[in-house]
Amino acid sequence: MAAARAPQLDSLFAALADPTRRAIIERLLAAGELSVGDVAAPFAISTPAISRHLQVLERAGLIERRIERQWRFVRVRADALAPVESWLSRQRRHWTAALDRLEALAAAQTPKRRKS
Amino acid sequence: MSDAKVSETTLRLERLIPAPPEILFALWTEPAQLLRWWGPAGYETSVHALDTRPGGGWRTTLRRPDGSVMAMSGVYRIVEPPRRLAFTWAWEDESGARGHETEVMVSFEAVPGGTRLVLLQKRFESKQARDNHDVGWSASFDRLTKIAG
Repeated sequence: MAAARAPQLDSLFAALADPTRRAIIERLLAAGELSVGDVAAPFAISTPAISRHLQVLERAGLIERRIERQWRFVRVRADALAPVESWLSRQRRHWTAALDRLEALAAAQTPKRRKS
Repeated sequence: MSDAKVSETTLRLERLIPAPPEILFALWTEPAQLLRWWGPAGYETSVHALDTRPGGGWRTTLRRPDGSVMAMSGVYRIVEPPRRLAFTWAWEDESGARGHETEVMVSFEAVPGGTRLVLLQKRFESKQARDNHDVGWSASFDRLTKIAG
């Protein structure tokens, strides 16, 4: 099991060794899902360069793509970091994302109070 | 950073949410509401059981875009609308076997402007350890909520 897992870990660490790719992952963790164009927006590098980074992240199992009409979206796989994460950080990530969604829904269902 | 780590086996998250406790409690306990936020975007969330009574079971699944399914399940221990909810939780593997048993406690405290939500998840290393924890758990939770306030 441990031996079979090693190549996966190698590609995972290699993918995360690059600062641009780490920044992409952090951006996706914060945003949830983004179009490829939105991923590229804050970076001062070309879209083809971003696409290459995304390919590396996808091969490492860190992100997945979804195509809707002509748009391509990417997001972090929910269990992508499980092989290298502790129980605590995995659960923290799970709940943080879930509570973000909960908070947005709860706020939307709450009538706005007038400011006086 | 508002999230404080209590110990290696306890996760604690706190949020101030601009909504009343009643709305939050419903989002946690009504199946149609729960499935709107329980799973990540793009994952099809299903609520198979949500028997929100002490001793009642719950089970949800998340279907990934590639079709594979992750399941989690547990049993409710405390149901006090709209203030407090506690339930056991474990991820299930492909064969349906439950992983590490944990307990989740969520409290909803009305505060000016909304609700202070405190979520604690505690990991039990063994069934015996969990049973031993039962007695002291509520008291430590109250203590922690006070520290948080």
